[in-house]
Amino acid sequence: MPANAPESDNGMAWIEKQLPTRLETIREAEMEVVNRLESLGYNEDICFAVRLAFEEAIVNAMKHGNRMDPDRHVLLAYRASPERVEIRVRDEGDGFDPCGIPDPTADENLRKPCGRGIMLMRSYMDEVSYSSSGTEVLMVKYRHP
Amino acid sequence: MAQEPEIIHVAARNGVKLVRVRADAILSEADVEAFGRGLLALAEMPGQRVVLSFLGVHHLTSLVLGKLIHMHKRLAESGGELRLADIDPHIYEVFAITHLDRLFQIYEREEEAVASFTGGAEA
Repeated sequence: MPANAPESDNGMAWIEKQLPTRLETIREAEMEVVNRLESLGYNEDICFAVRLAFEEAIVNAMKHGNRMDPDRHVLLAYRASPERVEIRVRDEGDGFDPCGIPDPTADENLRKPCGRGIMLMRSYMDEVSYSSSGTEVLMVKYRHP
Repeated sequence: MAQEPEIIHVAARNGVKLVRVRADAILSEADVEAFGRGLLALAEMPGQRVVLSFLGVHHLTSLVLGKLIHMHKRLAESGGELRLADIDPHIYEVFAITHLDRLFQIYEREEEAVASFTGGAEA
């Protein structure tokens, strides 16, 4: 159960997974979430958005949170209804300040090869919030925002 | 040693390297690394003009964007240039959100991108 999360919300039970810190584990979890959304009738635009944000969140957790330490895990929880999908991703790192990430669209950062993940998550999801420790992100996407 | 699966296919057309990405090749993170290595290998020769076609690619992440930026920089340093083509509307939106549509020259079709190098039809 994610921290501070109710057990269920209108019958939406959280589905939890613990992923080892290995990038190749992402796709299976990602497709599970996308398949769930497709079964609920979410359109292609929403599935694309959630898939992209999901992958960015997990990659950030593994690379920047867990620093690719194979002894650490990423805790994933998601729940979906016909109205919305919520995704929580927690790493076992030291946390970070999301406000401290430079704007990747600024001219001086445009040629930098990294730093766009959080921006994409915020662009494609309707709500993105971080725990005070900076080790957990909650993302929400509504069918009809 | 196991042979790496082909991530990109490279052909020459009118002096331009035309690179096509295997449709599902950049879906796994391990493949993204191979994708990046393949692109950088192309940039080893100076002055390379490269068109990268994303035909059939419907998903990418910021890791792939990072590889493209690295390739773009490496080619520019060696007097070459990278141009992109056949980008799915969803993926184009990613370029637009990140403002990378300002960094890369993007063409609707690979023929237009090749022609832009060779002085043929313009995009």
